[in-house]
Amino acid sequence: MGLQNEEKLELGCSGSQPRSKKWVLLTVRVIAFLATATATLVMALNKETKTLVVAMVGSTPIKVTLTAKFQHTPAFVFFVIANGMASFHNLMMIMVELFGQKLDYKGLRLAMIAILDMTTVALISGGASAATFMAEVGKNGNSHARWNKICDKFETFCDRGGVAIIASSAGLILMLIITAMSIFKLLNKPKSVSS
Amino acid sequence: MIKPKRLLSLLLRFIAFGTTLAAVILMATSHEKGTFFAVSYEAKYTDTPAFKYFVIAYAIVTVYGFLVLFLPPGSPIWRLVLALDLVFIMLLISSISAAMAIAQVGKNGNPRAAWLPVCGQVPKFCNQVTGALVAGFIALITYIILLLYSIYNFLNPLFEKA
Repeated sequence: MGLQNEEKLELGCSGSQPRSKKWVLLTVRVIAFLATATATLVMALNKETKTLVVAMVGSTPIKVTLTAKFQHTPAFVFFVIANGMASFHNLMMIMVELFGQKLDYKGLRLAMIAILDMTTVALISGGASAATFMAEVGKNGNSHARWNKICDKFETFCDRGGVAIIASSAGLILMLIITAMSIFKLLNKPKSVSS
Repeated sequence: MIKPKRLLSLLLRFIAFGTTLAAVILMATSHEKGTFFAVSYEAKYTDTPAFKYFVIAYAIVTVYGFLVLFLPPGSPIWRLVLALDLVFIMLLISSISAAMAIAQVGKNGNPRAAWLPVCGQVPKFCNQVTGALVAGFIALITYIILLLYSIYNFLNPLFEKA
């Protein structure tokens, strides 16, 4: 309660608006955290085993068991790592917002939050884009390089990968909104009396 | 007459423009005829949508970089340039990440999906694509340095000096 009174005194007459903005930002951060965490988990648990009949010897079929895992493709590994780091960043920002109101470093708190948000946006965009193009090759193949498509055999793998990429793209758009809001917060920072 | 800050910013923007132009030219002119088990085919950058995306994204940023070079200092458009820098950095990161993902599969193949590496048959194409990716990476780093420099100059009045 004492903290809220101090905040009201510092912000002067515009007391209620920054607080509702703070809750809006926090809600969007929670949704973005859920989106990137979903993308990480869905891709990390993406695995499909399939038994294919390769040849017939006489009347007994020779079966081969193939597994499709996300670790086989470096692009998907990057995707998992990037979304994991983005989820961690969002979690840290939520914690700092809720519990660390006094944390500051030479008045650079808002600037650091804005710059970290920008780097997270860059990271998510890199991961999502690499995974999208690898998934496109997996789905359509590449006739010029003689790369066969694999999605007709491993449908569940491809579906789950698609869901993860869509979740990551939603997280990317939300992170863009969050970055814009952080930058606005930085530019409209109330010039409170320091020291 | 020119302030050192302005000179440094101009130099960085010129380097960024040069490297994006180099990346576009290197990727767009990369094609080589190769044989694949007695079948002759030509490897071009249009074979993969990832390389097409790379060329388009870097071409857009090249045009943007060229236009920004002629912006007079002190104009209010520089705030828009700051925001556009961030947007274009995101575009560059996304395109180079996609191109690198496909290029990595082209170089090393993916044995579990029965995708053979292509670089053995068309080494000149592969080298040129590598060169384009390196130039693109340098351009990306230059743009990030530019963005941090612009943010630092912009935020300097806001820092409460102790």
